[in-house]
Amino acid sequence: MALTEAQLAKYRRRARGGRIRMALSLGATLVGLTALALILGALVSKGIAGLNLAVFTETTPPPGSTGGLLNPIVGSVLMTLIAVAIGTPLGILAGTWLAEYGAHSKLAGVIRFINDILLSAPSIVIGLFIYELMVRPVGRFSALAGAVALSVIVIPVVLRTTEDMLRLVPTQLREAAFALGMPRSLVIRRVVYKAASTGMVTGVLLAVARISGETAPLLFTALNNQFFNADLTQPTASLPVVIFQFAMSPYKQWQDLAWAGALLITFTVLALSVFARALSSRTK
Amino acid sequence: MTDHIVKSFDQELMELGRKIAEMGGIAETMLSDATLALEKGDTDLAQEVIATDPRLDALEREIEDKAILVIARRQPMAVDLRAVISSIRIASDLERIGDLAKNVAKRVVAIEGQFPPQKIVGGVSHMSELALDRLKRVIDAYTQRDVPAAKDVWAHDEEIDQLHNSLFRELLTYMMEDPRNIGFCAHLLFCAKNIERVGDHATNIAETIHYLVTGETITSERPRSSTAVRIADVNG
Amino acid sequence: MPATERREKVSVRDLRFFYGDNLALKNISLPLYEKHITAFIGPSGCGKSTLLRVLNRMYDLYPRQRAEGEVLLDGENILTPGQDLNLLRAKIGMVFQKPTPFPMSIYDNIAFGIRLYEDIPKSEMDGRVEEALRGAALWNEVKDKLGASGLSLSGGQQQRLCIARSVAIRPEVILFDEPCSALDPISTAKIEELMDELKEEYTIAIVTHSMQQAARVSEYTAFMYLGELIEFGETSKIFTTPADQRTQDYITGRFG
Repeated sequence: MALTEAQLAKYRRRARGGRIRMALSLGATLVGLTALALILGALVSKGIAGLNLAVFTETTPPPGSTGGLLNPIVGSVLMTLIAVAIGTPLGILAGTWLAEYGAHSKLAGVIRFINDILLSAPSIVIGLFIYELMVRPVGRFSALAGAVALSVIVIPVVLRTTEDMLRLVPTQLREAAFALGMPRSLVIRRVVYKAASTGMVTGVLLAVARISGETAPLLFTALNNQFFNADLTQPTASLPVVIFQFAMSPYKQWQDLAWAGALLITFTVLALSVFARALSSRTK
Repeated sequence: MTDHIVKSFDQELMELGRKIAEMGGIAETMLSDATLALEKGDTDLAQEVIATDPRLDALEREIEDKAILVIARRQPMAVDLRAVISSIRIASDLERIGDLAKNVAKRVVAIEGQFPPQKIVGGVSHMSELALDRLKRVIDAYTQRDVPAAKDVWAHDEEIDQLHNSLFRELLTYMMEDPRNIGFCAHLLFCAKNIERVGDHATNIAETIHYLVTGETITSERPRSSTAVRIADVNG
Repeated sequence: MPATERREKVSVRDLRFFYGDNLALKNISLPLYEKHITAFIGPSGCGKSTLLRVLNRMYDLYPRQRAEGEVLLDGENILTPGQDLNLLRAKIGMVFQKPTPFPMSIYDNIAFGIRLYEDIPKSEMDGRVEEALRGAALWNEVKDKLGASGLSLSGGQQQRLCIARSVAIRPEVILFDEPCSALDPISTAKIEELMDELKEEYTIAIVTHSMQQAARVSEYTAFMYLGELIEFGETSKIFTTPADQRTQDYITGRFG
């Protein structure tokens, strides 16, 4: 079409506006990326210094001497695994009920609402809750209490992603399974889960990433332990809590170990996120 | 009938209808001119009729091409499909009518210089008038999609047949009277036969119109004429 | 052309269907003749797909949808509350608009349905899978990659896989819900050829937006409009000389 001078002028104004907005967005992105780069830079430079083989083989040292992070690493891994083992089945079952059975019921609405609150609840509150429930009655901090506190964080994340992923499975695929005369439980287990599997695994990975950095809920539950401990009923060290404790201390060795631990957590979480992304992008 | 959602489809069908009407007009003129030429012994007019025929042939081919294109592009259904098929059939009937008129004109040229009795020529031209009348009515019935009118044309064929029958006998008498008459009598016999066939094609068109509008072929038995016509058929 | 002997495999009688309070099918009555193909045509929202989903009670999956009236399968009303829906759906297969292979291998896509009802040894299962794939004219294309994912096939192949999956459990009726609307003309032709073969053994109903397709594949056609059955009859009659003006207007493309 032939544009008049006025139309052209308007078009140019809009194009100029677009360029300005684009520049602003770029600027904002740069600020964010710079901050991230600075954090990572500091982490890496200071963390690398404290990172050596001893970190993985020796337990936390008393003040003033050298040592490693073996007990908090094992504690973190252990509690995370237990938390996932408790939280994932519950989250998946609840998410499945929401997506496949309860979908439009009142109860489903209530559950979704509660889940959303749980999803954004301050983790320290969860820690306090488990403290009241599992620590005070027995009078002792324990890895189990820590794992349960973490699992309370896992459940809403897994529930939400499971429901979302199941909803993404085309209705026609479900109907096609039903059309063969398949009972509903089989349709869900054999067809729907299969179609949504990568998404659901992504949800679990994201939940792991989320809890591996949590400090607050562990302070009230697993607390800490200077020594190596695999007994679930005993207080247990975890990376976030140890970092918290060591970083606040005046001792050089402890501070270095705190940085090394921070580096470990950050890269674990980063790796998990990247892996989760790769998984979910592969499905589509 | 309401219009199609696709307007160009309507235009294509209308175009087919227009071309049929055009062919009908040309065929009518050819027949009436050929008859006039026969009455007046006007060979120039007869030549003109003969020269018109290729135009009718060309129009028929055009209709056929367009109809095939419509089928290929629109995949017409029901009444539309019948309209397209009918246009092909009617175009072919009209083209045949043109041929028959051309044949009459050729005979006019052939009997130049001989002077057949006006009474007999009058009989042939009366037959032609009847045939023309039916042709006009059936073309009108086509443009109006008028089934009763088409049925009326279809049912009243016997008049022409009877006239043809009596002309046949009369010409036979002439030929027996004087062998010198045999030449032009034979020509006139063929003219009459040709005109009678025009009537048959008009009947065909009437049947096509019935099919086009109702989707069914006319099933009831048509009034048949006497056995003498069959003799004429055999001879023709 | 309709066979001289025809038996009503399915008889829909006075069927009314509701989405909530919304009446979507208004007193539909029509037969599906055994071993014949019946096509359902009509503009979007006319209720043709809804009708199909009543025939295998797919609507039961959703709340607030209900049917009144009778749908007789070999004389037995399938709308009665006591019906075992899984067994019913095993008898009445369905093929959908978009191909819906399960996220598993080609072999398992077929074997899965069979295993629901039968415990058969591997060798016999192999035979059944092959038979089903041959039945869906897919065997030659996939026989060397039965372990590949069903999703790796082309759209047309996926749709034939779905047909094979339906056929594998040996249903009596197969419902096609716009089976070719996502396929190219060649794949469409293959499905149509397949349907032509399938009707030797199965009673078939197809919902289609392509009138030409309905005209090509079916012996009987039902034209529906606004939840009503306007006209049901032999396809040859519906597409040449429909009795109802609305049918005529629809099939000739005159719908306002």
